[in-house]
Amino acid sequence: MRFTTDQQTLEDLNIFGRHGVDSIYALFNRTYTRGGAALLEDCFRYPLADVEKINQRSGHIRYFAEAAIGFPFRPEAFDQAEMYLANEDERTKLSVGERSLMGKVSGLIAEDSEYKTIHRGVSALVDILQILREFADRVDVEREVIIALLAEPALQPLLQDQHKGKLPFEKVAAYDIILRFRHRDIIRRILQRIYQLDMYISVAKVARDRGFSFAEALPKERHFIRLEGVYHPQVKQAVPNTLDITPDSNVIFLTGANMAGKSTFMKSLGIALFLAHAGLPVPAAKMVFSVRDAIYTTINLPDDLGMGASHFYAEVLRVKKMARELSLGKSLFVIFDELFRGTNVKDAYEATVALTTAFASRRDSMFVISTHIIEAGEVLGERNPNISFVYLPTRLREGLPVYTYTLEKGITADRHGMVIIQNEGILDILKNGKPKLTKNETV
Amino acid sequence: MSFSADKQTTDDLNLLGKYKPGSVYSLFNTVKTKGGERLLDELFRSPLSDHRAINSRSDIFRYLSANPVSFPFTGGQIALVGDYLGMGGSGNGLAMAVSVGRLRLLETAVNDKRYAVIREGVAATVGFLQDCRDFIGRFDAANAPALLTGKWMAARTILDDQRLKGLPVQQDVGTLSWFRLAALHHLFMSVLQDSLTRLLDILYHLDLYIAVSRVAAEKGFSYAHALPEEDYIVHAEELRHPCLDKAVGNPVLLDRHRNVIFLTGANMAGKSTFMKSFGIALYLAHMGFPVAAKDMVFSVKDGIYTSINVPDNLSMGYSHFYAEVQRVKSIAGSVGASKSLLVIFDELFKGTNVKDAYDATLAITAAFAEYRNCAFVISTHIIEVGEVLRGKYDNLQFLYLPTVMEGRTPRYTYKVTEGITSDRHGMMIIEQEGILDIIAGGGVHH
Repeated sequence: MRFTTDQQTLEDLNIFGRHGVDSIYALFNRTYTRGGAALLEDCFRYPLADVEKINQRSGHIRYFAEAAIGFPFRPEAFDQAEMYLANEDERTKLSVGERSLMGKVSGLIAEDSEYKTIHRGVSALVDILQILREFADRVDVEREVIIALLAEPALQPLLQDQHKGKLPFEKVAAYDIILRFRHRDIIRRILQRIYQLDMYISVAKVARDRGFSFAEALPKERHFIRLEGVYHPQVKQAVPNTLDITPDSNVIFLTGANMAGKSTFMKSLGIALFLAHAGLPVPAAKMVFSVRDAIYTTINLPDDLGMGASHFYAEVLRVKKMARELSLGKSLFVIFDELFRGTNVKDAYEATVALTTAFASRRDSMFVISTHIIEAGEVLGERNPNISFVYLPTRLREGLPVYTYTLEKGITADRHGMVIIQNEGILDILKNGKPKLTKNETV
Repeated sequence: MSFSADKQTTDDLNLLGKYKPGSVYSLFNTVKTKGGERLLDELFRSPLSDHRAINSRSDIFRYLSANPVSFPFTGGQIALVGDYLGMGGSGNGLAMAVSVGRLRLLETAVNDKRYAVIREGVAATVGFLQDCRDFIGRFDAANAPALLTGKWMAARTILDDQRLKGLPVQQDVGTLSWFRLAALHHLFMSVLQDSLTRLLDILYHLDLYIAVSRVAAEKGFSYAHALPEEDYIVHAEELRHPCLDKAVGNPVLLDRHRNVIFLTGANMAGKSTFMKSFGIALYLAHMGFPVAAKDMVFSVKDGIYTSINVPDNLSMGYSHFYAEVQRVKSIAGSVGASKSLLVIFDELFKGTNVKDAYDATLAITAAFAEYRNCAFVISTHIIEVGEVLRGKYDNLQFLYLPTVMEGRTPRYTYKVTEGITSDRHGMMIIEQEGILDIIAGGGVHH
């Protein structure tokens, strides 16, 4: 079973980002090799829903973060090796006996470019293997697999090669046959292990540099999440928050004034949960979570005129999609920012109450819902004991709103929309502007 | 001063974007040549603000819609000629003959491809000139609008050049001696290169004109008449969305006495579509392009600003509400700087609580309405604002998009009607989609 999500969620959380925007993936992508980058991308593309696999991956990354082990190889060596290995043509095989006089002479004048590639690739691989042999003894992760692979008798001459400087032709030819043809498969597997190490080591470095922590996955049936000091990794000086979700408080009902940080808080929850399911370090002080089957967010939902849907209808369809998933018995993590903002107040009120009540009956899933319609909260609180009410406060200091970005318990009626409009001076701009045509001139 | 529309506006109206399905650009992009496409890009990026220039351009399209001609060339044919002429090459005839002769020898000796390239280029150009002669001869633009007649005359003058008489027919180019081929190559590449390039450019224009006017004829679009800015009017009948089939038409009239439309209606009743149709029509009208409306007249404006899908901008620390406030502020800046604009606000301040949205919508609408030289379309769910505004200002029109209930099913007429509506069917839609039942259908309950 995979942990699933959809395009809307990936965009809301800025996981892969659009062109020119720094994404969460870009924040982690510090791999040294292309192979490592591909494995990291796989982590993002295919998050996991398996407790053991998640804990294993995050445990490995944690090991490297705590041991502060660096990547011991030259990154260019892998490009050289890959380019060399890509050539599977038997005819390019170097053979010792057949190096003709002509070849030797022309080799003196200008190095044959094909030979150059082979020479560089062989040297790079010899280098890589020797470093790996030494490195494998120093690390706990992947050690057995690597040592077993390196035990292949045919590789021993390469591992013990003491040659300094440029490898002579005869050695290159002999190694070429081993590396590129006879034991190609082992070499590929060894490289793959190194790419895996690269992924762990580079991600571990990101975690160390940024102070991320490692989440502990629990079985789904616990339906429990504890997030301590979670914050948005792309907001400067983000304020951390702490949140518990249990079957007895599986709906988080969030209120707060504009700009109090509701969307940012919700995004930080979504990002932490996504990364945790990818087995990657999370921007939080501590995180324990039951795996979910899927995460769905609705934060920036565009309307879709092409399909004939208004904004409200787009929201309804989105809710319906989640309802379907719930009806399949899945355990979801659902985030809804400003539920039903695309409709009139009366409808939004009724719909919010009806839907939140329906969601609340599903204790095996988790819901975070923000709204401006605080009246809905009061009614919901009376009916459903398992809704947890939190808000992001606003303090007024000398007439200006100040935000703490720290969650508090309860519902808030804060509103400062007009204050903001006044502070921006919009009405003054219009009052002081010079219309080309005023009422008096229209008579 | 050119007509301006910023990125938010062109995105909201889905105007540009070659690869975006459903964009207005892609609706008109039926040109055959690359050059024609380049021109279309240019026109979309720079609408006009001079009413005479607009009318002269739309006259061309109107004429060609009424007197259709087909563009007989293929894109590949013209691209071949364009590439050949673009190869460049100058120098005197003798030097060129020598170099062509050399290539001819190389072709036989080492199978060199360059001679064949020249032969193909010459053949394509000869064929192209013949087709041009047929096309320009068939297409009588003597009584067309001045701009079109000008292009047509210029093409004729180029084709009538004495030096282009007695060209071989295209099929025979392969059999010409290298010397004759060199002479033609020299004629096209150095003697007449300028006029042939101009001829290509004229054809790009004709391609564009023909393509656009054909789209107009097929879709039943018409042409708007531009007036000077000081007339302060936009009027159209049967205005509709150009990219929707079977779209319903609506009349619009905004002038100095009634420069604000206050629009209400239930979800899905078509408010956004109506607003987008209006914005698109005015934008196309400023390009001199055909519009999805009838009898449209408009005084030129300095630009359009819309606020329909404003995303939040977390990287700049903007919440959705604050993003909206910033948008309104920037528009207020332009309106306050004495520009004549069309401003469209869809669901102003939807990202905030009701009380704030009410206060803000009221204050902002009232402040904007003072600018009678601008036209505003403002939609909202907060119908109470409308009631207050109705009592205070005489320059607002109250329009709504109705919902007709047929039993328990809402039906939308998409016809704007005077007044303010309190239609709402949000809960009904949710019930119809059966969402609450679906949620209750599975999983663990306590």
